[in-house]
Amino acid sequence: MQTLDQTVVDAPPGAVKPQRAPRVTAGFSRWRAPLSILALLTLPFLLPSQALAVNVLIYGLYAVGYNLLYGYTGLLSFGHAAFFGTGAYVTGIAIGAYGLHPLLAMGLGTVAASALALTVGAVSIRSRGIYFAMVTLALAQLVYYAALQASSWTGGENGLRGFTVSRIGLGPVSLDILDPQVKYLFVLAFVGAALALISRILASPFGAAIEAIRENETRARACGFDVERSKLLAFVLSGLFCGLSGALSAIHLSIVPLDSLAYHTSGMAVVMTLVGGAGTFFGPFVGALVVLVLEDVFSLWTPHWQLALGTVFILFVLFLPRGLWGSALERLSFRRGQS
Amino acid sequence: MIEQGSRHGSVSRRTLVRGLAATGALAGIGMPFVARAAEPIRIGFPTPVTGPFGAEAKDQIRSAELAVKQFNETGGLNGRMAELLVRDDKLNPGEAATRTLELIEKDKAHFIVGALSSAVQLSVNEITRSRKVLYVSISQSDTINEAKDFSRYTFHEALNPHMTTAAVAKHTFKKGTRVAYLAADYAYGHEMLRGFKRAAAAIGAETAGEILHPFGAPDYSTFMPRLRSMRPDILCICNFGRDQANSIKQANDFGLKKAARIVVPVLLHNQRLAGGADAFEGVVGASNYYWRLEETVPSAKAFNDAFRAAYANAIPTDYGAYGYTAVRSLLMAVKAAGDTDTDKVIAALEGLTYDVAKGPERYRACDHQAIQSVLITESRKKSEMQGEADLFRILDVEAGSEAALRTCDELGHRA
Repeated sequence: MQTLDQTVVDAPPGAVKPQRAPRVTAGFSRWRAPLSILALLTLPFLLPSQALAVNVLIYGLYAVGYNLLYGYTGLLSFGHAAFFGTGAYVTGIAIGAYGLHPLLAMGLGTVAASALALTVGAVSIRSRGIYFAMVTLALAQLVYYAALQASSWTGGENGLRGFTVSRIGLGPVSLDILDPQVKYLFVLAFVGAALALISRILASPFGAAIEAIRENETRARACGFDVERSKLLAFVLSGLFCGLSGALSAIHLSIVPLDSLAYHTSGMAVVMTLVGGAGTFFGPFVGALVVLVLEDVFSLWTPHWQLALGTVFILFVLFLPRGLWGSALERLSFRRGQS
Repeated sequence: MIEQGSRHGSVSRRTLVRGLAATGALAGIGMPFVARAAEPIRIGFPTPVTGPFGAEAKDQIRSAELAVKQFNETGGLNGRMAELLVRDDKLNPGEAATRTLELIEKDKAHFIVGALSSAVQLSVNEITRSRKVLYVSISQSDTINEAKDFSRYTFHEALNPHMTTAAVAKHTFKKGTRVAYLAADYAYGHEMLRGFKRAAAAIGAETAGEILHPFGAPDYSTFMPRLRSMRPDILCICNFGRDQANSIKQANDFGLKKAARIVVPVLLHNQRLAGGADAFEGVVGASNYYWRLEETVPSAKAFNDAFRAAYANAIPTDYGAYGYTAVRSLLMAVKAAGDTDTDKVIAALEGLTYDVAKGPERYRACDHQAIQSVLITESRKKSEMQGEADLFRILDVEAGSEAALRTCDELGHRA
């Protein structure tokens, strides 16, 4: 039993082995959250539209949350749409049906997504590799069909509507969310806070523990880490940040489409993380930026945008297996190392 | 030699820089001035260019562009030209919402027209109504008429399931007819099924049974014997696109067409082309437009002729025609209002009666649903087709009337 277990652990099927942050860039890592926020502040000036910039923020956070589990803990989940969608739906329903304050509703959505992550995580972390991916996918599909059937709550096929937030009152000030610039800053405030928190988590002993699990689960266990509990905690935290991004998307789009629970939304997280660089702090944001901008730009040029996008992805996989950001970091540290 | 070559290179680079600077200056100084002189009327047009309804979307774009072209050729609005901003919504409500936000915030679109699925149109509507932008939907839906999703900025130019099913039922159901239903298990199928059963109850037709099939099912062989055993006079198939073609083909294979008449809520040009003449032979359904309407309706003739002239003798299709009627009616209202101001155009659209392709139409006051004729068509036998595009025979044209719609009260609109 023991030996069998070990062979499985040493080569988890389908799992990538992302690099630790290179040593030279370690100086950056202290400042990675503020630097990321500064970089994100420039987005609206660089991208063709505010709506797209907000999408990059939201999906960037979604991918960063996913990366916590995939890139740092080494668990390839294929069901993160469940957390994104749950965050969005619960936020929308809390505002639309119960008239909750948008901030409270977003909090509720995030908590609901974390609770779901606790359940899904508890069931799925017992399995590994492809089986883990399949279990998460199956459970996410359950959530999808539950939302489809409960149409009096969720609007079913037609999606959830009727909860448009135009103003958010914060004590004496009232934010006009319909103004694209205000909306961008509002979303950025949450994304920035989440990034700071994630940075802190990764710098903590727990962060080191999940990376140890990724590198060698058996050894981590032998070192005395509680592997199961660490995995579960990573899963819940990942679900929490994905839920928050879902809640933000509900505020942004003022609808929750059923597609937000569909498996291709789960796939988006995987693609964005891979394109940007799994196991890097800012990589998933770069991935979200590249994927969404290419989609946006290509689909304006040609109805065959999917072909162009597919080609670009293939090139990424062939020539930048560590992703854009991951490769950039690697190159940076290589050069510094030589000089 | 080398020196000459390098000098030549540097000179041309300098010229290039100068040229670029001049262009930049022109663009910076000249263009806004020109643009301000006659700001175009911008119509955002989200439509699923990619995805399973790509063919319909392409037809819609061509028809909508024709309407814009005609408007511009007749001088526009006192010299202000219209322009169509086509965006691919990828048949995805989230994408459509983002695109609509972009159209409103960045492109400063004055109006939004389009969408081709119930969910997508509702998401576009959610964005436009909160930003007080006029939206003309051209996707079949009952939901958008209801008070919950309606706003004064929402117009619905397409038919709705209630209208089409009532018209088809009126033409095919009789008192005591046994009807079996095969419906796709999602919003569209449910709305159609509900419409048919409601009409059947009013007429006195009996329900022999109903089966829901999963959306996108390729195989219907398990349903066919069950449907057959219900011994229906009419088999009513409520699904769309490839599902429709597949299920009708298989109903044929199981000999159901010999036992019962096959009826569908909407019989569409592109689906009939995909399914083939033999499979569809004798199938009855409704549609908003068929090009041979030109034999009886002058405006249809004018529309077809303009379309043929613009697109190498092609004929407009049913879903394509929506693009034309919606954009044309909107631009007529803009002309009548004399302005692109949303409130003025809403008032003009509410008061407008337009006949641009299929006889007179107007928007009902309470829910902004276009009151229009419904065509009942039957798919032709291959040997009876006069030419490639002669797919259907018009059995009847149900004239547009408010009686065909659900009442304002029922939809939840208070007077």
